[in-house]
Amino acid sequence: MKLPLRPSFPIGPPTWPTGVELQPPPRRTGVHYDTDWARRWPARVARAVFVDDLLRPLVAVLGSPLVTGLDRLADLEAPAIFAANHHSHLDTPLVLTSLPARFRHRAVVAAAADYFFSSRVKSAYSALTIGAIPIERTKVNRRSSDLAASLIDGGWNLVVFPEGGRSPDGWGQDFRGGAAYLAIRCQRPVVPVYVEGTRRILKKGAQLPTPIGRPFARGTGVRVTFGKPLWAQLGEDSRRFAVRVEAAVAELGDETATDWWTARRRAAAGTTPSLTGPTTAPWRRAWALDDQRRRRGADPTWP
Amino acid sequence: MTSPRGDAVSPSPVGRPALRTRPGLVLEVERSTPPVLFHAGEGFHLERLPVGSRVIYPAEPVTPLADPDAAIGHALANPVGDSEPLAALLRPGMSLTIAFDNQAVPLPPMRRPDNRQRVIEAVLDLAAEAGVDDVELIAAHGLHRRMTEPELRHIVGDRVYDAFAPQGRLTQHDAEDHDNLELIGRTPEGEYVEINKRAATSDLLVYVNVNLVAMDGGHKSTMTGLASYRSLRAHHNVNTMQHSRSFMDQERSELHHSAWRMGRMLGEHVKVFQIETTLNTDTFPKQFSFLQKREWEWSARDRASYLAVSKSLDRCPPRLARSIFHGIKSPQKMTSVQAGEVEAVHALTTASVYRQQLVPIDGQADILTMGLPYVGPYNVNSVMNPLLVMCVGLGYFFNLYRGKPLVRQGGVVIMSHPTPWEFNPVHHPSYIDFFEQVLPETTDPAEIEAKFEADFANDPWYIHLYRTSYAYHGVHAFYMWYWGSHALQHVDNNVIIVGGNPRAVRRMGFKPASTLRDALEMAEDVVGRNPSITHLHSPPILMADVT
Amino acid sequence: MRALVFERSLPRYAAAKVAAAFGAGLGARVGPLALSDIPEPELPGPDWRRVRPRLAGICGSDLSTVDGKASAYFEPLVSFPFVPGHEIVGELDDGTRVVVEPVLGCAVRGVAPPCAACAGGHIDRCERLAFGHLAPGMQTGYCTDTGGGWSTALVAHQTQLHPVPDTMSDETAVMIEPAACAVHAALGSGAFGRTVLVLGAGTLGLCVTAALRRFAAPSTLMVAAKHPQQRRLAAELGADLVVGSEEVRRAVRRTTASLRVGTGLSGGVEVVVDCVGSQASLAEDLAVVAPGGTIVLLGMPATVAVDLTPLWQRQITLRGSYAYGVEDEVAGSPPLPARTFDMAFDLVTEAGLDRLVSATYTLDRYRDAIDHAANAGRRDAVKVAFDLRTERRR
Repeated sequence: MKLPLRPSFPIGPPTWPTGVELQPPPRRTGVHYDTDWARRWPARVARAVFVDDLLRPLVAVLGSPLVTGLDRLADLEAPAIFAANHHSHLDTPLVLTSLPARFRHRAVVAAAADYFFSSRVKSAYSALTIGAIPIERTKVNRRSSDLAASLIDGGWNLVVFPEGGRSPDGWGQDFRGGAAYLAIRCQRPVVPVYVEGTRRILKKGAQLPTPIGRPFARGTGVRVTFGKPLWAQLGEDSRRFAVRVEAAVAELGDETATDWWTARRRAAAGTTPSLTGPTTAPWRRAWALDDQRRRRGADPTWP
Repeated sequence: MTSPRGDAVSPSPVGRPALRTRPGLVLEVERSTPPVLFHAGEGFHLERLPVGSRVIYPAEPVTPLADPDAAIGHALANPVGDSEPLAALLRPGMSLTIAFDNQAVPLPPMRRPDNRQRVIEAVLDLAAEAGVDDVELIAAHGLHRRMTEPELRHIVGDRVYDAFAPQGRLTQHDAEDHDNLELIGRTPEGEYVEINKRAATSDLLVYVNVNLVAMDGGHKSTMTGLASYRSLRAHHNVNTMQHSRSFMDQERSELHHSAWRMGRMLGEHVKVFQIETTLNTDTFPKQFSFLQKREWEWSARDRASYLAVSKSLDRCPPRLARSIFHGIKSPQKMTSVQAGEVEAVHALTTASVYRQQLVPIDGQADILTMGLPYVGPYNVNSVMNPLLVMCVGLGYFFNLYRGKPLVRQGGVVIMSHPTPWEFNPVHHPSYIDFFEQVLPETTDPAEIEAKFEADFANDPWYIHLYRTSYAYHGVHAFYMWYWGSHALQHVDNNVIIVGGNPRAVRRMGFKPASTLRDALEMAEDVVGRNPSITHLHSPPILMADVT
Repeated sequence: MRALVFERSLPRYAAAKVAAAFGAGLGARVGPLALSDIPEPELPGPDWRRVRPRLAGICGSDLSTVDGKASAYFEPLVSFPFVPGHEIVGELDDGTRVVVEPVLGCAVRGVAPPCAACAGGHIDRCERLAFGHLAPGMQTGYCTDTGGGWSTALVAHQTQLHPVPDTMSDETAVMIEPAACAVHAALGSGAFGRTVLVLGAGTLGLCVTAALRRFAAPSTLMVAAKHPQQRRLAAELGADLVVGSEEVRRAVRRTTASLRVGTGLSGGVEVVVDCVGSQASLAEDLAVVAPGGTIVLLGMPATVAVDLTPLWQRQITLRGSYAYGVEDEVAGSPPLPARTFDMAFDLVTEAGLDRLVSATYTLDRYRDAIDHAANAGRRDAVKVAFDLRTERRR
């Protein structure tokens, strides 16, 4: 007796008859992945537990974050679009866990369809754990923008990284218009968010994270700064609005590096350092980043 | 940068009148009236008042501004009175000083962001745009204690603190630093006008206030917050206080008349741009929300939380109870903001305060009862010592009237508070000595003033603690007593404290009673049988308009 | 005659010490003090008179003897068995009322020539207290030959006797001896025009307060009193400021406008008159006395452990004050009668010190009397005395 490893039809799947034109398989990954299930109650509860009880301690151990500027959100009503700069995979957990609860438990994250939704398993994982929704990085995809807009209209907050990907060298990239477009379309504000220091933990291409700061000691590691909510002005198009959002994030970066008053004065004088860094030779760009010069660990001590 | 939310997609909230929700109420107690809530320090209890007593309930919190930041921007751009918009007053190379109220307001401390943070950030935004480099911030705490770093951070926000404090550009007023005081002159009445030198010599002085009660604000802001002792003495004295009927009603307050004279003189010397904000009376967070509801409207949930809270407070050590209460951050919200010339601004502010707080009531009573809460302006993060009980009860609560006092001349005031014989030695060192050494000798305000004030005011140790530690000035304990001097005179020292430490109560010349019923019996000896009774159901704050 | 006699008995002395640990005054129940019938003392010489006590006060030093707390220092200066009681108003056989000045100096002891101190009238500093024809004993009430006030009869040298004017009550007169101690301390403290703190407001503290007010004109006179009645009396007797015993440091700091350094003060009062004499009170004295100031120790201290570093660093004078004799002229003061006792006569009348006599007891109730005296402050009493006017005399 031979035990059939592959049960035959009708128990097993049918085989395709030769000569019949082969149909492409239904596209169920990338932007076509349906994330509705991840926003129903069971998944939301699971995600709340995951974010609050797993991600938050993890972030605290790895980055000991200092979150500032939450008072600027005191008058803000959900939903809103949170636009942050992007250095590291750690940015999403960091921003997510830094959000006040009223935003955090009803938030979706715009994630690159080609990376986070490349397979069914990966898609399910992304959708469940961080509430990711698939977004095309480069072009405005009708399906993904409709999905995001309908979610915002339905009261969901959107976390988005308008640079379209993690920073390759530590400097920022130009902001794309997606967040601004959605803000105008849904008539909701954009909250600029500046994330500092995640690159030192897990930069693009790194395999393992390096904890910085003293674990759980608030303020010794990375920093997240929330800015004042920005509303699109009458007749402003998404490109101009995106520039304004980028400037706001840059000012927050300046505020993080110096202090608020210095940042305000430089902003008023138009001398805020840009996120994208100087347009010079790569080594000078690298040199200008102070994290490259940071000493790692202590000098060895000899017995 | 302009206000990010301009004439925009969102509806503009500026100028929407603060809607009044249900106004205050005077309830006559009958047999079906539920017992009435009395605050008593870190606790409260329900008391049945005799039939026919009247209870004054505060108005419900008025609807706050929908977008306070936009409202601030609007106020700065459209000042009232004889003043240009703030932006027009700012130019590169000028010196700008921003003075702001201290932690005595609001009560309890409000949730972040504080009104002052919002306003200061807006002012600094404009200053940054105008390229003003020489900016200094001064906490205008007068003779109050210096604030700790967390307290300052709470008021101005972390951003402003981190930007200014490390450079020494955020300082606290020091009324004993004689090198940094500027004598501007003397008024025809002989009042010294002497304030902080930096404020007096700046090209522009911006004062940022939170107007909790009608006494605050106006010229009193600068003339107390930034003044020296000899300047303050002009209006902080027994004579002035006894002729301020009440000091909450600036029209009939000697305190304010003096401050106004002095403020006008200051105004001729330095350009003052006043920014005042008002709050609604949404005083307690959700878990204590029953404290600001009328008893017959308590839901099952309110009753459950009343029982849970009061039972657990009975069992918990006083220290813990105190730390729980002082941890309360109030959800008060901004109801108005106005900027410009001091007097014009303050007129609007006062109107706004009255709109929230005034409750009309007809006629005076023989007996006034009130429950005193755990906090007053001078014991934020501290214990409410007996002198503060006196000041909050006979100073603040008694004076929350316009027209006539709630109690008739020669009537009785009954207050409930545990009045512990306990002092915070860091915050109130001179209070201890006042209580131990002055009060046993006399409780007459005028005699106290004549005999002891100079000694305490010039005591080098108090001055040292005031300047370097977190102590109220040596003379501040006297002001507590002066603040109640009008009430003492009016009711002829007939004050009964329910549930207080009997020794401490007697030391102040009052009578201790263990229950409200006893206190009412005792009061009958003074005012006769079947007295009329009015109960001030506060906090939340209300101001009685007595006709 | 009936008398309370203090025997030399080591076991009973030890028992008194143990009993006193459970409460002041309990030494009287088990200790060496007992009510006995003993022969009247004999007149030691021609200049001696028999005195029949009318009132005899109970003094703090008597209490510490009864409770077994007296220092071993006194051992050679007393003679057993003795009848305690040295605050005596009595009458002579001819009916003259007298107050006894109890110090047994050279003149009384028949020491001739007298020691240098006695020659100058300073019997309080007498160097011959254990010599001469009398048994050793500092005062009447500690000497076996003279008897003492807690009895119906004693003998006294005529130099010890001060006639009491008819207008003066026995209650006033019994206060003369403690008042004399107080006058001596007040004048010896150098309090003229200075800030003075009187620590403790028992009999001595209150008498010192009155004496300072009457004779020494201090610029500020503060009194630290533990009990309410003491506070009232201190204020009546002329204190500028009366404070509770817990409030002393704060009050001194405020009154003298000093700063604080650690737990002590940077400045302080110029003179402290310590009428308590305990380890704690000495520490308090040192904390509140100004640099260069004076501590006058009027209370009897016994063995104490005190950190004297501040005494050294702040150059403080620590001086004792015992009994009375003659007072030196002090610059700036009005002319005074020389003898302390004469000044005490003046003081008790002028200050009305008879109000300090709170209770009297017969000899039979001596345990209650001592218990009352030992807890006087707590029971709002000051001076407790034996009333011997009703005793049977035989």
